[in-house]
Amino acid sequence: MNTTATQANTPPRQLATVTKYFRTYRWYFLAGLAVTVLSSGLMMYTPRLVGQIIDGLEQGRGAGYAGRRVLILVGLTAASGVFMFLMRRTVIWASRYIETDLRGEMFSHLLRLTPSYYHGTRTGDVMAAMTNDLEAIRMMAGPGVMYTADAAVSLLIGLVMMLTISPSLTLWALLPLLVLPFGVHRIGSVIHKRNAKIQDHFGVLTAAAQENLAGMRVVKAYGQEEREIENFRAVSETYIGLNISLAKVQGIFAPLMRLIAALSYLTVFYMGGLRVINGTETLGTVITFFGYLALMTWPVIAIGWVVSLYQRGLASLARVNRLLHTEPEVPEGGGRAAAGPMAGRIECRNLRFSYNGRPVLDGVNLMIEPGQTVGLLGLTGSGKTTLVNLIARLHPVERGMLFIDGVDVNDWPLRELRRQIGFATQEPFLFSDSIAANIRFGRPEAGLAAVQQAARIAALDKDVAEFPQGYETMVGERGITLSGGQKQRTAIARAIVVDPRIIILDDATSAVDTETEHEISQRIKEVLTARTAIVISHRVSSVKDADQIVCFDDGRIIERGDHEALMARNGFYAQLYRSQLLEKELEAL
Amino acid sequence: MSGARDYHEEEALGKAYDARLMRRLLTYMRPYRELTAGAILFILLAAAAQISLASITKWGIDSYIKAGRADGFHAVALVYLAAVCGILFFSWGQIMTTVRLGQKVQHDLRMQVFEHLQRLHLRYFDRNPVGRLVTRVTNDVNTLNELFGTAVVAVIGDLFMILLIVVYMLYLNWQLALITFLVVPVLVGATFVFRARAREAYRQVRLKLARINAFVQEHVTGMAVVQLFTQEERAYREFGAINLDLQGAHLRSVIYYALFYPAVEIIGAVSLALVLYFGGVRIIGGAMTFGELTAFIWLVERFYQPIRDLSEKYNVLQSSMASSERIFRLLDTAPEISDPPRPRAIAAFRGRIEVENLWFAYEDEDWVLRDLTFSVEPGERVAVVGATGAGKTSLVNVLFRFYDYQKGSIRLDGVEIRDLALRELRSHLGLVLQDVFLFSGDYAGNVRLRNEGIGDEQVRQALSRVGFDRFLKHLPDGIRTEVKERGATLSTGQKQLLSFARALAFDPGILILDEATSSVDTETEHLIQQALEELLAGRTSIVIAHRLSTIEKADKILVLHHGRLREMGRHEELLSRGGIYRTLYEMQYRRTAAAPVNRQAAAK
Repeated sequence: MNTTATQANTPPRQLATVTKYFRTYRWYFLAGLAVTVLSSGLMMYTPRLVGQIIDGLEQGRGAGYAGRRVLILVGLTAASGVFMFLMRRTVIWASRYIETDLRGEMFSHLLRLTPSYYHGTRTGDVMAAMTNDLEAIRMMAGPGVMYTADAAVSLLIGLVMMLTISPSLTLWALLPLLVLPFGVHRIGSVIHKRNAKIQDHFGVLTAAAQENLAGMRVVKAYGQEEREIENFRAVSETYIGLNISLAKVQGIFAPLMRLIAALSYLTVFYMGGLRVINGTETLGTVITFFGYLALMTWPVIAIGWVVSLYQRGLASLARVNRLLHTEPEVPEGGGRAAAGPMAGRIECRNLRFSYNGRPVLDGVNLMIEPGQTVGLLGLTGSGKTTLVNLIARLHPVERGMLFIDGVDVNDWPLRELRRQIGFATQEPFLFSDSIAANIRFGRPEAGLAAVQQAARIAALDKDVAEFPQGYETMVGERGITLSGGQKQRTAIARAIVVDPRIIILDDATSAVDTETEHEISQRIKEVLTARTAIVISHRVSSVKDADQIVCFDDGRIIERGDHEALMARNGFYAQLYRSQLLEKELEAL
Repeated sequence: MSGARDYHEEEALGKAYDARLMRRLLTYMRPYRELTAGAILFILLAAAAQISLASITKWGIDSYIKAGRADGFHAVALVYLAAVCGILFFSWGQIMTTVRLGQKVQHDLRMQVFEHLQRLHLRYFDRNPVGRLVTRVTNDVNTLNELFGTAVVAVIGDLFMILLIVVYMLYLNWQLALITFLVVPVLVGATFVFRARAREAYRQVRLKLARINAFVQEHVTGMAVVQLFTQEERAYREFGAINLDLQGAHLRSVIYYALFYPAVEIIGAVSLALVLYFGGVRIIGGAMTFGELTAFIWLVERFYQPIRDLSEKYNVLQSSMASSERIFRLLDTAPEISDPPRPRAIAAFRGRIEVENLWFAYEDEDWVLRDLTFSVEPGERVAVVGATGAGKTSLVNVLFRFYDYQKGSIRLDGVEIRDLALRELRSHLGLVLQDVFLFSGDYAGNVRLRNEGIGDEQVRQALSRVGFDRFLKHLPDGIRTEVKERGATLSTGQKQLLSFARALAFDPGILILDEATSSVDTETEHLIQQALEELLAGRTSIVIAHRLSTIEKADKILVLHHGRLREMGRHEELLSRGGIYRTLYEMQYRRTAAAPVNRQAAAK
């Protein structure tokens, strides 16, 4: 981890993320540079034409002289416009290509990262990298590059043109303009900082509202509404204060830029005017210079702007790299020789696992034969879920501790291993897609018949029949809201559809009533014959008929055996059984 | 950034202009008439100063440069400088006043939404996810800021600027002006066609961006499922398709911009050509001066800016309408539970609660409390027991009037609680919930909440009375220490003690406590029991009890079952009766009493 971090800090490695794409699209950028030169070059000739016309008028040439130049002017601008179009068409398009590729690279990396990364990272941060940071990098690669080229070419050509007309007037014209890039960059960074501060405080404002609304019950119970309002007022006032402080800088920024540009204008007007009066320059020259100033002001401003673009882009690139340089914790695995079908024998040999330095599993020995159904019981945090997660290698497992079909779990190729496992959890995640799409999630090619059968096994079919569009009903944000039990049964159907060799139900029926749960487990047995099943539950009834019942406490197995044996033992299991029997009686009262 | 963003909440764009909404929006500017007037004055002055530069240039060229007069030419330069400084000052003033105006309106609107939310009933919060309501207070209000902060004033400024340019051109030379105006329809047409196209392209981009963001967010959240079902490749394929789709939308919108900028340049060149040629002809004929021609060139170059600005305001208007509609819908939701028109008051508080034939349902006729009748005498300790779903929490909800009951009555010291002001009712009641809600801020703040009337000394006392001082000792800044991540680092027991201290500090006449079920270690359990005694001593209380010790000490036990009051009495009495209470007792309370013993046996 440390080595990757230091490597990531070296600039070449930082830039490598984008430079490879510049290489891919180099022809776009080279063509872009060529048309930029053409576009600016043609455009930079137009002020001269205007000057010639003015001088021509002064010298008493006819309207034809002006007319010809006016036509050339329109022609040059039109030609320059074509190249200007091509400039965007190449460079900005290429930057969009880069954006698309980089977004793909990031997402494909996200698909490889393990749960531990997602536990330690807020979804919002991942989203920020894939939206704001990506856009900042795109701005650097597109407009950043384009305006750099445009400014360099325009300024160079403009400067040469002006110098050939009047070197001393050029000096006077450019003097005030030179301040612009520094000003833009300087004020730009102040604006950026104040903006960042506003963004931060916007976070505070959001958090204040969020907290107040989430804690509304406490607020109301303690009669704190008025005080909450006063507190929020203060937060909101700070927010508008920060906005006004930004406006103070921003408000002066644009007018100041205009002032500086106008000063250039004024210098040319005054110094040039004096020269015209004493006869050393013509009025046409002054007007020509006006034209150059108009054409060169934006490129000069762009320099300052582009510097800020690069700064922001590089900062974003560092954040994107932090994501791309995080290596998945669980290796792909492989090395298992024969790739025959999995039988489903699971063996734990003194299995240990720690999370954040805290032991979660502490020497578990367990043998599950192919086709066995095993029930896992225990209080929350006793290690049951961790055990099944390790079987699917959601977390890294040390070698020599966990075997499937006698092969170390690390030697199974990750994909192949997981393809044999059907997993359903207590709070399943469903996608905002149709019921059918959710059920066939693990086997997209599954037909409607397979989906329906899985739904029947999971006792979901009757619910689906009542949905507005049956299996095509959308769930989640854009569709209907499923009850906890319906979600769980959908997840069970999803696990069944993949026809797994090992089926894992991690408290997957906690929101389903006991009878339905019993039905489901019966049907799973009938359909998925000779499959290994691991059932985690808080209810004794769900595991009562299992071949093997294993009770966990604090990462260790405290009891094991079948129902009769454990009842005879009169320990944790027996007590849990009796108390849940009473609960059932009570319900009936 | 904190606060989950809802990428699914599509940016549905409706009409760009809705007179009814707009009128209502403009009322928010009414308190700031002076500021609005100031902003408009500044923007008009700035526009006028801008145009004066053309006239000064003309003056310099005609009266000095072309006349060959050097003396006094510096005066022209000085006037020019003054005008430039004027532009700087007026523009700055305009930006400052409009921003101030926008911010003030934004603040007012935000406070109005927030205050309204404080008054809304809890049922509203059940139906509307917190994230969405937060968006109303934050992003939606921000969107309107653009409307008030720039758009309203800028539209006036842009129109004025166009007017000035037109008038001045006509004044300089009306024939040349008319010739130049030939280009204006083309320019306006191109701009608005481009805007419409670009807007549509941009809408597509936003739609696809929202889609890809929703896709990524969903897959990041459900990554474990994707990986467990080995659907990485498919996810990547689907992502790739949306990504390409987005790219296509981007590329199309680039084309519009790529076409538009050169088009404007070319139209500009044509108008310049017209001015130069026909102006030149007039100069030759002596009907026009060089100064006038230069001024014309200058004006033609400035024509485009205000037209472009105006076309941009359309977008601002459109998003403002969508946001304001959402905001007004919230503001128009009337609180279902509010103070009675003429609240009664409790003359002398004693703390007697009488519940009579009480029926309550969250929805329609799904009764969760059925025909409850009981009373709590001042100083009495009442325990409420029952299985999950028996209606215990609902009882708390109606006592606090978080929800209104449908039938029957609840009286506090003889006054129906619906006839009391909410403040008064809740000031007599204290609440300790099972899930302790902690706020960000320090420990003191979590005890006194925002009630400054509770001093540091009282906070310390309350904390020490519940036995929290032993934890406080280890905190670097004592009660001023920040509670990290809203208590995520605190144990369940510590959080409970904190909420006990909160209740103690507020010292309510009646305490309603939902005892936590989650198991804690023996030591903390002991602490909590002691703290509970301290909290309940000499106080009227209703405890939703999960601990045997709490129940045993109760003066009266109410046994709820499926919303009905099935048994009532003291512990021994109910136990010997052999009904629901006895079953509950054997099921839950005996087990919790026995659990630690069993644990030790198991560890061997």
